[in-house]
Amino acid sequence: MSSISDQELLERLPDFLIVHDNKEFYRGWLLRQLLLNRCQDCGVWHHPPGPICPECWSSDLRATPVSGRGTIHTLIWLRQGPPTPGVDYSTPYPVATVELAEQPGLRFTSTVTGVAPGDIAIGASVELAWIERHGEPFPVFRPAGS
Amino acid sequence: MARNPIKDQVAIVGVGSTGFSRDAGGRSRDSLVVEACVNAIKDAGVDKADIDGVCGTAPAAHQVVSMLGLPEATYYLNQPVPFGFSIMDAMNAVHSGSCDVALVYHGVYRSPAISRSAAADPFRRKLGFGGQPLGASQRVDPESVEGSVGYTAWASRYMSEYGVKREHLGYVAVNGRTNAGRNPLAAMRDPMTMEEYLGARMIRDPLCLYDMDVPVDGADAFILTTAERARDMTDHPVLIHASSTGVIAKNKEDQAPGLHHHGQHVVVKNLRAKSDLWLPDVDVYFPYDGFSFITLAWIENSGWCGPGEGGAFLESNWDKDAGRIMIDGRIPVNPHGGALSEGGTQGSGHVREAVTQLRGDAGERQVPGARTALLTPGGFFFNAQGLILRRD
Repeated sequence: MSSISDQELLERLPDFLIVHDNKEFYRGWLLRQLLLNRCQDCGVWHHPPGPICPECWSSDLRATPVSGRGTIHTLIWLRQGPPTPGVDYSTPYPVATVELAEQPGLRFTSTVTGVAPGDIAIGASVELAWIERHGEPFPVFRPAGS
Repeated sequence: MARNPIKDQVAIVGVGSTGFSRDAGGRSRDSLVVEACVNAIKDAGVDKADIDGVCGTAPAAHQVVSMLGLPEATYYLNQPVPFGFSIMDAMNAVHSGSCDVALVYHGVYRSPAISRSAAADPFRRKLGFGGQPLGASQRVDPESVEGSVGYTAWASRYMSEYGVKREHLGYVAVNGRTNAGRNPLAAMRDPMTMEEYLGARMIRDPLCLYDMDVPVDGADAFILTTAERARDMTDHPVLIHASSTGVIAKNKEDQAPGLHHHGQHVVVKNLRAKSDLWLPDVDVYFPYDGFSFITLAWIENSGWCGPGEGGAFLESNWDKDAGRIMIDGRIPVNPHGGALSEGGTQGSGHVREAVTQLRGDAGERQVPGARTALLTPGGFFFNAQGLILRRD
């Protein structure tokens, strides 16, 4: 993690609210790693990152790489949304909440790239991928094995 | 039976409203709020010097005290939406003795971010939800299910798990529009057919334009006082019989355990334990409808039917001639048109209509002999609420 300073992190991702609780999560983005908090005492994963483990109240949390594999739990197709470079809502834009392989109920939400309505559905397997947005890495999913 | 020492101890004795419209014209949010407040105070027949409590959403309670020239207030606080938080805050303040007569208010004012016509009003440019000034803005990416988008996400799961059809959501939307046709305060009063619902523009698939409440301008206000004092003021006080809010540990939209466990379940369990009255006693029913899907969830989670059966329940309780829901042929659902058609009031319209019905003042919408109303404002994650109101 030490390869990216706090100053560099804040400068490269200026439009997010980055605080001590989530700084390693966002630092992971710049390294193209999806790091979610795992309690070092009880082993439970949590997202989004918080100050303590809600299960056992341990402060010994570690931003830990996940496999990025999971199944689609909810799936919506946006016909309009916030203006974003590279996103054209004239084609329905998918947003999926993905249940990650690491733990039941541990989920991460992003888009699924390279698909049109009908190509994917709730229950489909996906894997983590990275795109660039505003010149920096951004975590997304793609159909498993694509 | 759960502890409920406040049962039937606080009454709603005054109601005021501006009505709701797609565009209130060149008016400020505050002008709408004070108009509703003045109407409620006059309706209750109290003097402004009698009001010593002020609770609401926006503007700040002390500003309302100032704008109305209330001489002295001993309790004044703001609460978030939906509106049940403000009503319950005022209820607790009256019962505890923090104040004797509480003014409770909520105004809605279309944000330029969600309304093209509001965006054309230069005096709204720096205002956000509820007419609140915008702070420093964060980046917003489309890859989020926070806030209202979360209901679309869970609607997708609901439809997938239970094989629910869009028509099932459509019953909620058509019901609201039919009912709004008889409510002069409502913004959207032209009738809508199921075909029109199914043909509407998709916004966030699987939800369309008519699954989402309509941004409006307007305000509602209420006067609350002790039941004892209420009986001296009016012969038809409306009592707050039971109330609850509800939230669980995993209340982030995409981390919620599932359709079987969220804030609504906490509300229903607690409300039922506190109340002497339950579904068989209900004469008029107000499940929240900020999104049509939320209504089906409340209907199921309140126990009118089983999980995934909400749409079929509406289908079998559909009054074909009237084009609206009549549970068991007698209980209308959101007879004012709800958030989907009266306007997105975050629950204040539901409370106002419940009080109006229980007072017997609903005119052509009146439910004959209505004595008990069940209200469940709010959604799943951090704002589920329940209220049982009864005529004294």
